Amino acid sequence: MVSASLHSDLIAAVATPPGQGGIGIVRLSGHGAKSLAEKVAQAKLEPRKAVFTKFFHAGQVLDEGLVILFPRPNSFTGEEVVEFQGHGSPVVLQLLLNTLCEQGARLARPGEFSERAYLNGKMDLAQAEAIADLIASASATAARGAMRSLQGEFSARVNALAAGLEKLRIFVEAAIDFPDEDVDILADHQVLTNIQQLRQQLADLLAQTQQGQLLAEGASVTLLGAPNTGKSSLLNVLAGEEAAIVTDIPGTTRDLLKVDLIIGGIPIRLVDTAGLRETSERVEQLGIERAQKQAQLAEVILVVVDASQGQDIDEEVSRLCGLSELRVGDKRIFVVMNKQDLVSRIDTNTTYAICHVSAKTGDGMEILRQHIQQRVGFVAQEAPFTARARHVDALQVASAALQQAQDCLQNKHETEIVAEELRLAHNALGEIVGTVSADDLLGKIFSEFCIGK
Amino acid sequence: MDYPDQFDVIVVGGGHAGTEAAAAAARMGVRTLLLTQSIETIGQMSCNPAIGGIGKSHLVAEIDALDGIMAKAADAAGIHFKILNARKGPAVRATRAQADRVLYKNAVRKMLEQQPNLSLFQQSVVDFVIQNNTITGVVTQMGLVFSCRCVVLTTGTFLGGKIHIGTENHAGGRAGDAPSIALAHRLRALPFRVGRLKTGTPPRIDGRSVDFSNLEVQPGDDPRPVMSDLCTSMDHPRQVNCFITRTNPQTHKIIQDNLSRSALCSGAIEGVGPRYCPSIEDKVVRFADKNEHQIFIEPEGLNTTELYPNGISTSLPFDAQLAFVRSIEGFAKAHITRPGYAIEYDYFDPRDLTHSLQTKVLDGLFFAGQINGTTGYEEAGAQGLLAGINAARKSQHQATWEPRRDEAYIGVMVDDLVNLGTSEPYRMFTSRAEYRLRLRQDNADQRLHELGLHLGVIGEQRAQHFAAKMHQLESLRSQLASAKVQPNSALAAALLSLIGVGVSKDTDLLELLRRPDVNAASIATILAGHIGTQQASTATMRGADLLGQIEIETKYAGYIKRQDNEIAKIRRHEGMSLPQGLRYNDIDGLSNELRFKLSDARPATLARAARIPGMTPAALSILLVYAKKFAHGDSAATG
Ligand SMILES: Cc1cc2nc3c(=O)[nH]c(=O)nc-3n(C[C@H](O)[C@H](O)[C@H](O)COP(=O)(O)OP(=O)(O)OC[C@H]3O[C@@H](n4cnc5c(N)ncnc54)[C@H](O)[C@@H]3O)c2cc1C
Ligand SMILES: Nc1nc2c(ncn2[C@@H]2O[C@H](COP(=O)(O)OP(=O)(O)OP(=O)(O)O)[C@@H](O)[C@H]2O)c(=O)[nH]1
Ligand SMILES: [Mg+2]
Repeated sequence: MVSASLHSDLIAAVATPPGQGGIGIVRLSGHGAKSLAEKVAQAKLEPRKAVFTKFFHAGQVLDEGLVILFPRPNSFTGEEVVEFQGHGSPVVLQLLLNTLCEQGARLARPGEFSERAYLNGKMDLAQAEAIADLIASASATAARGAMRSLQGEFSARVNALAAGLEKLRIFVEAAIDFPDEDVDILADHQVLTNIQQLRQQLADLLAQTQQGQLLAEGASVTLLGAPNTGKSSLLNVLAGEEAAIVTDIPGTTRDLLKVDLIIGGIPIRLVDTAGLRETSERVEQLGIERAQKQAQLAEVILVVVDASQGQDIDEEVSRLCGLSELRVGDKRIFVVMNKQDLVSRIDTNTTYAICHVSAKTGDGMEILRQHIQQRVGFVAQEAPFTARARHVDALQVASAALQQAQDCLQNKHETEIVAEELRLAHNALGEIVGTVSADDLLGKIFSEFCIGK
Repeated sequence: MDYPDQFDVIVVGGGHAGTEAAAAAARMGVRTLLLTQSIETIGQMSCNPAIGGIGKSHLVAEIDALDGIMAKAADAAGIHFKILNARKGPAVRATRAQADRVLYKNAVRKMLEQQPNLSLFQQSVVDFVIQNNTITGVVTQMGLVFSCRCVVLTTGTFLGGKIHIGTENHAGGRAGDAPSIALAHRLRALPFRVGRLKTGTPPRIDGRSVDFSNLEVQPGDDPRPVMSDLCTSMDHPRQVNCFITRTNPQTHKIIQDNLSRSALCSGAIEGVGPRYCPSIEDKVVRFADKNEHQIFIEPEGLNTTELYPNGISTSLPFDAQLAFVRSIEGFAKAHITRPGYAIEYDYFDPRDLTHSLQTKVLDGLFFAGQINGTTGYEEAGAQGLLAGINAARKSQHQATWEPRRDEAYIGVMVDDLVNLGTSEPYRMFTSRAEYRLRLRQDNADQRLHELGLHLGVIGEQRAQHFAAKMHQLESLRSQLASAKVQPNSALAAALLSLIGVGVSKDTDLLELLRRPDVNAASIATILAGHIGTQQASTATMRGADLLGQIEIETKYAGYIKRQDNEIAKIRRHEGMSLPQGLRYNDIDGLSNELRFKLSDARPATLARAARIPGMTPAALSILLVYAKKFAHGDSAATG
């Protein structure tokens, strides 16, 4: 039933984590990968032979590096795959990606390479959960990435755009399906004005999102926990410098503290937060609110528990989730039992992934680093960078369709064509915020207008 | 007694669904019986005497393309024809016909009586014969048992029907007809999900008591459109005008004052009514700021003085109906011939059906029409056609036809119903069809003819007609492609003077038609005046239609291609079944909302899951991954 031909269209993405020097890989998979690659590399490709060449776009050299063809079925995805290994600069990688997409490939969705590999039998079937998890977390990473680049406004603004577009479609669809009604819904110039406004909002959002996209930013890892559990101490050890103030007074850290570091080649932004507890103290309370927000945006949440307190781990994590508005069982949570030097017992009685460390002695820190690398790398392999580009892509499709809709309206083309362009714009936004059904639209029409004879 | 003859298909109910179902099965050559309460009411229009309208005439065209009866009956009975949405584009353009109720009914009955393989029998059905979850026959009121392979049930508003006028109510299937109570009980005992819906109808008015002198006249269109490909306007009876009047603040005040006595407000009605077809009391309450509402006055027929005032459906008590009607311009002395009423009835949750309209509960039992939660003759007729075809096929052990959303409005309707269910009477609108630009009235035959031939539901006459049309279309197309306009030629000069279009290089007429400033009419002028050949064919109505089709083809080519790509992508998802046992609640990475919706809808394919509101590409990918795992026999994902 699940046929390999399902996903034969050509997809492309950056396959290495963002922001690193050295090499960067752009991967192309699907029907026609070879011929497109030969066009861009201006070289003949043979199976599994690395060819050193220049990459071209419109006669201009973009970069140089290796190009390798992996014919099906012996490739990562089981489809025809070509890898471009160039310089790692995000700007160059993005340009190469743009070139490929202009010439027939489309941007891969988050997790799509692994998805294809799985569907084509390149991965163990038992890995379904892991793949599903990857797709979900890569998509969520994309959303969080976009959100971070616009200070949390992104989804609110895309939602507002989608709502505006929906309102517009209600007018146009009502004009088509209910022409008998007394009001000529399209006659008043509202529709044109609305399209223009939406286009402006979309253009603003696009400009800002594209900026954000170029900022090569590390995956976000956040330390969370009760006061005095040793969060700041852990940050200092991981960062290799005394970045945070450490005291034995609970409630020392008040504000967010961010340090950038590299673990296993992956850029990471590690964030220390205020200890979570009920408090009436104003400054501390504000710090806790920031901690809550930060947790929503993080790829990995390190929940720090003081091992010397002998608490039930799951109960403690649940309590902390309550204080920080996280869902109990959130897949991003990773429990770090700190101050292990004070106790001899190693408590592993928990449903969460866990490790045991001592910030004081440094015991277990290497394992912690490896855990972080694994968790972040899992997502990074499907490049959040690409995922965010996907959003830009959707916004661009919406923008082009709106432009068409406006032209059609101004040139007095058939209403059904205006409606079609608006539908396409709406669908594009739907890729980010979820689809809208015709029935939803009709429902809004009925509540907006007095319909019916 | 057991009736001695065996049938392949028995259709229960002679309304719009039942008649199409019976005719379709019989056209396919299987032994068919139509069992209905009364042969006199076969093809009866329960509500307004009109066929077609936006979205609906697309269904009629599709029924016609598969050689059904509705379009032909509408041409035989139509006394006022209009094209709607003429300027909004060819895909949303629609045709509507006012019909003479009696002529319509007669036309339907005549077609059924002339149909080989079809027998009629007048009796109410009260029970089913069931063996091992398979239906094998029906039992009528007088205890007659008819055996068959498949049953199509099309009993409309009759199941548990209850009529309301003001605070009064009584059992009834439609004014003047008895409800089906025994059958409703029988069905409620089976594991179907049953709900209540309601709809209403306006009071009818005697035309002799109406003063038309100040009313706006609405004549039919000239040239007059036709409904069926096989008919011409020569088949139409005498044409008449419609009129328009309006309610006023006085009307609204009377309604407001009597609201507490309406069936709706007294809480006597539990069924949900259609939001797009509200009663007048609904409109007055919900849109209180409007001080008038349009009423279309439609004649009920050529040989009756009764009028149908479209727009004032009501369930107010009779005295209030009379008072508000008489407050309306032209109706000051109106005599009501039949009071308006609301009717409540049982419907079955269409999510208990497959896309072939067979029920998931009983093998061999098909449902069509109003009992599936729809409203309207066209919606009923289209479902009847589909159910009739599939019952016939199943009775011959052939695979059923499950129409797709990209091939027909019938497919859109069935998919909406089966996939999402409905909470109010479902009516077709063009906005329900995402591939609207392809699903046009003008190309219904091109979309469905071949399929119809394959199904064996299309007769000889139509097959020949279609072949001739395709032939003409092809020769017209090649004529256009070979007619070159050279710059500075006489033809170019003619073009410039006639339609103000200049050419700078050799251009054929087909290319010319692609330009936004050139249309079919101007090309027809050029063809007729300056090329000489084929004058006759483009000058006829048919010729003009063909040219129009070529214009749509060329102008919309880009849009159609884009939709084709979209469809190809979705087709792939269609081939991907989702295991019915998937435990959506256990799938990480789906939002709670989606988990809930998926568990509820249990979509059979990935394509259907994709249409659930709120779906995202990531969520679809996740479903795909789990489906693959399931396919390889990992039962952990199921339960
Ligand atoms: C009061 C009223 C108002 C309506 N208003 C509108 C409207 O505003 N707009 C609109 O689009 N549509 C309206 N309709 C709906 C329209 O009439 C129906 O959608 C359409 O007729 C449905 O067709 P059908 O074939 O499903 O059922 P029907 O046309 O109702 O036909 C049912 C048939 O089944 C027969 N039957 C019933 N029970 C049995 C039995 N046990 N055994 C044998 N035969 C049986 C009946 O005699 C009848 O012939 C209205 C209907 C009514 C009654
Ligand atoms: N024995 C032992 N003490 C530790 C360890 N880690 C931290 N501490 C001590 O615990 C106290 C609190 O450490 P911090 O790092 O300030 O704790 P915090 O979680 O940042 O606390 P707040 O900022 O108040 O929320 C300090 O006195 C540290 O020296 C450890 O691994 N072992
Ligand atoms: Mg601290």
